[in-house]
Amino acid sequence: MRERFDAQLERLNTELIGMGARCEDAIAMAVRALLENDDTLPTQVLEIDAEIDRKERDIEALCLKLLLQQQPVARDLRAISSALKMVSDMERIGDQAADIAEISRYIDGEKMTGRVHIEDMAQATIHMVTGSIDSFVHKDLELARAVAAEDDVVDRLFDQVKTELIGLIGEKPSAGGFCLDLLMVAKYLERIGDHAVNIAEWVEFSLTGVHVGG
Amino acid sequence: MTKRIFRAAFLVSLIVLLLSMILLLSVLYTHFGRQLRSDLENEAGFIAQGLSHEGSAYLEELDSSERRITWITASGEVLYDSDTAAAAMENHADRPEFQAALANGSGEAARYSETLGQKTLYYALLLADGSVLRIAGTQSGVLALLIDMVPAVMLILAAAMLVSLVLASRAARRIVEPINRIDLDHPEMDDEAYDELAPLLTRIIHQNETIREQMEGLRRKQQEFTAITENMSEGFLILDRHAKVLSFNSAAISLLGAVASEENASVFTLNRSKALRDAVRAALSGQACRRELQLGDKDYQLLANPVRRDAECVGMVLLIVDITEKKEWERLRSEFTANVSHELKTPLTSISGFAEIIRNNMVQPQDVPRFAGKIYDEAQRLISLVSDIIRLSQLDEEAIPAEKVMVDLYALAEHVLANLRDAAAEKHITCRLEGCAALVRGVPEILEDMIYNLCDNGIRYNRENGSLTVTVSEDAEGIRLTVADTGIGIPAAKLDRVFERFYRVDKSRSKQEGGTGLGLSIVKHAAAYHGAVVQAQSRLDEGSVFTVFWPQKATKDGGEEK
Repeated sequence: MRERFDAQLERLNTELIGMGARCEDAIAMAVRALLENDDTLPTQVLEIDAEIDRKERDIEALCLKLLLQQQPVARDLRAISSALKMVSDMERIGDQAADIAEISRYIDGEKMTGRVHIEDMAQATIHMVTGSIDSFVHKDLELARAVAAEDDVVDRLFDQVKTELIGLIGEKPSAGGFCLDLLMVAKYLERIGDHAVNIAEWVEFSLTGVHVGG
Repeated sequence: MTKRIFRAAFLVSLIVLLLSMILLLSVLYTHFGRQLRSDLENEAGFIAQGLSHEGSAYLEELDSSERRITWITASGEVLYDSDTAAAAMENHADRPEFQAALANGSGEAARYSETLGQKTLYYALLLADGSVLRIAGTQSGVLALLIDMVPAVMLILAAAMLVSLVLASRAARRIVEPINRIDLDHPEMDDEAYDELAPLLTRIIHQNETIREQMEGLRRKQQEFTAITENMSEGFLILDRHAKVLSFNSAAISLLGAVASEENASVFTLNRSKALRDAVRAALSGQACRRELQLGDKDYQLLANPVRRDAECVGMVLLIVDITEKKEWERLRSEFTANVSHELKTPLTSISGFAEIIRNNMVQPQDVPRFAGKIYDEAQRLISLVSDIIRLSQLDEEAIPAEKVMVDLYALAEHVLANLRDAAAEKHITCRLEGCAALVRGVPEILEDMIYNLCDNGIRYNRENGSLTVTVSEDAEGIRLTVADTGIGIPAAKLDRVFERFYRVDKSRSKQEGGTGLGLSIVKHAAAYHGAVVQAQSRLDEGSVFTVFWPQKATKDGGEEK
């Protein structure tokens, strides 16, 4: 019985890693779509998003099945309940990556590179997502806490991008639409950073039993 | 074992104790019965004597709290009873003991009272006057006896149990101790062990031996396996059916860029890319799978093969091969093919175009030689291109038909410059040859080709009235051949690429200057074939210097021993 349970937990773990990896793919590809102007990339991101949604449903079903059939306690219960919470955050990351990809269709990437710090922000966000997934994969408490701390960097970059965009609009009112699109992208990236922090917090919860998130 | 022996011993002593108790009780019971009977008989005798001396007054005086004494007439009437008033008593003629006494002089009977749980023993004695004296005594039943004795029995039992408890545990320990003391690793050393265990010990000795041998064999195999996998540059992983890592080599960890791996962790903790997950999933579902994985600027090929046992997939083997170089080669090759086709097509198109014009009689007769000359030029270009390609592919495969001999570079350079005199004169370029004779081992045609290509470039990309200096020098390190021009030079950023096939620094300029785009590539390969290296230094608009350097060793063996 326990053996079967362990196998199912292992499957849950594997599925979560897979879903996390897809989130990383989605955000990396969305950022590339933004910077490179490749028309096929947004479509790919949307496909990945659909896959992430599917995985979310699968993992949720698996978690509920485990909760009902095995009635887990203590650490197992924490692992499963935090998995349930994590998939929603991952799913949101997928959605926001898809939103960025959608916007990237209307943005000429090369025109804006260098003008604002959006690329730095994107890299920082990707780093956070990777960090949160890594902390889950390696059950690394230190890394999970580091990810939570990194959110400040992304928030600061968001403020910076915002200021830069305001300057850009003042300088060239015709670029207003472009700037607003970019602001949306920056906001999405900032949200993705928050979701990465949530994931890291759930990792911490599953390891320590204490949920620090507000 | 100790426990079992203890339990057995304790149980046995308990059973024996109980059994002997029961037996003792039953023996005692009959013994008491017999005792009572003889007591009654004796007492009856005394009382009978007393009666005959003193009459019934004796009975009245007699204190008989323990015994019931009854005096019965021959007809069965009760004259006296020690318990009840004689008048109230019924006729006793029907009592068996009374009848037996009348008949035999004495009689006895035992009656059991269920309600009292007591047995009453009657003894009747016929007196001389024909009356009967009966005396009765009671004996407690077994149960009553038991109940009477319970505290004592309990005490004895408890004491006995305590003693047997101690003794049994000590005995058990004593029996087991020698067995425990046997050193299972070296049973042959033990003389104190029980003889009964000797066959077992011999068996253990043999098995110890076998186990040692097998362990040794296993360790050797493990070492071989580790030696093989650790010395592989390919990553090697064995996974179980849940994709957990059973075994891995260090190359796998470093190739996947993972920090470290604990055994029995999922392979996805090392890397969670889609390619790896697809490969693992395919292999675990029973299909061999190849995937390419890009990590950073490296390309890897993943070869995933299922491991089957009884047609069931029990795990998989994952091989990770670094194919970065191979991919780079493939890229270069396909680029080369594309370039070759392009370069071959250009002169052919011109030839075909000029020939078509002539065929259609669109050329004045006096112009035909000019057109034929153009066709000839293009055909020449084609020929030199093809021969360059052939030379290059020969050098690539190191399939040079000629033998290596000792060649004087100075003489060779002299010869080349003589050949190029006309071309140099056209651009008013001064050619100089400096240095001294230097012998290297090599194929003369290829070395000549090499020098020719360097000098040809030096003239082709020179400016009017420029100069070209070829220097051959020899020192302790080796031999240097330097070709310096005063030409247009090469931008520093492109210096690395000039040795690539068909690479042109300035595409439009090269077209008018001619050349195949393979010259420096041939130089590089020819030098490598002879164990020499080529270096290029250049300054834009000031000129370039190409140095071919033979290390001391390469001058003698021609680069054959690498």
